Amino acid sequence: MESLDDVIDAMIADRVIHRHRRKWLIALAVVVVLAVVIWLTGGWKEHKGRSVPTLTAPVTVEAGRFEFGFTSAKIIRKPKGEYSKAETRLEVYLDIKNIDDEEQTSTYMSGGLLKLVVGGGEDPIDSNGATCHDELGYVFVYGLPSESCSAKFEVPVDFDAKEVEIGVMGEQYDAASELTGATDDKYWGAETAISVVRLPTTIETEEK
Amino acid sequence: MKLYRPATVVIGVIFVLLGGLTRLGEPEQVFDKQDRVVTSGTIGEELEYGDSKLTITRMRFVKSFQADESDDKMVQTKGIFVAIEYDAVRGGKDPGTNSVMLRADGGSVYEPVTEVIGDSVSFPEPGFAQTGAFVFEVNPADVTGLTFYLKRTQFFNSLAQDLSIDLAVPSEEIAQRSIDGAADEYVMPDETTRVAE
Repeated sequence: MESLDDVIDAMIADRVIHRHRRKWLIALAVVVVLAVVIWLTGGWKEHKGRSVPTLTAPVTVEAGRFEFGFTSAKIIRKPKGEYSKAETRLEVYLDIKNIDDEEQTSTYMSGGLLKLVVGGGEDPIDSNGATCHDELGYVFVYGLPSESCSAKFEVPVDFDAKEVEIGVMGEQYDAASELTGATDDKYWGAETAISVVRLPTTIETEEK
Repeated sequence: MKLYRPATVVIGVIFVLLGGLTRLGEPEQVFDKQDRVVTSGTIGEELEYGDSKLTITRMRFVKSFQADESDDKMVQTKGIFVAIEYDAVRGGKDPGTNSVMLRADGGSVYEPVTEVIGDSVSFPEPGFAQTGAFVFEVNPADVTGLTFYLKRTQFFNSLAQDLSIDLAVPSEEIAQRSIDGAADEYVMPDETTRVAE
């Protein structure tokens, strides 16, 4: 049998829980709605002016474990085929060298290290990585001379520009933050913007 | 009475999800040297890897290579290629996944070239043996003390075994002689599988 004390306790607990229930629910709903609104409107972005130098091609940039020697850029239009859509891509030609003095390790260039700066507050477009000797994801050997490569950017079909700007990201050789406490070993990561390179473009239309 | 109302449960679930989100910020690969055992050997020697076995059967310096016979593209280099052929005998236990690299005395670490698909020793099903090959692009100025290194991929902090196989390039003089005598062309052999003896 439930004693009277238990019943009274239960009643008091019920009251306490119910007292500010509506306020709490409204507060929670407001937070959720705010989060959804911010998420839908493109996040909490702080727009800063450009804080890295802008260079003009041909130029050589050292960024993290790579040295990029930019030469030229080409907008390539692929006309609409019977079964395929029209496509436009931007190809940037550059010489890449592995200058990883820290680990002296062979590695490929990840696409995120080169970004096409679109401007107008839009997100930059990542490259697809480096293609050298017709091989995407070419492995660069430390200590060997640079290889001539190209990097491809998927751009909108009507993309047109006399000049494009490519953002160069460089990795840092550092250990993980002490907060996560994972390891003291240093590794390449944490890409930061190093510079922006301006390249004049030529336009080419592919034959079907 | 109801202590756990849906709102309470939802808040609990949100905290659990937040905990999961913070883990996404952690580094992808965490390797700790204290939990690795390295078994050393030389080229031609059969090394125990768990209850599997690995032998590096052949090592050659080559100036260019073909990924397979039907491919008519010869891959060229500004350095030199090192071709490695292996023979892997699978034991009963799962040897797990691994990655391979070459290490030299000068501190260079070389990874397999892009044209070759797969950068790990593939162990067949238990009771079978497999042969395969890798090609590494290397810097001719740093090949002394060249060692083939097999690193077991670890996801948890458990004891892992690595293999370190000396490829018999003891001095700069021998390295230079091997590079001068490098074959012009090399065709990567197909992988073969057979029943282990």
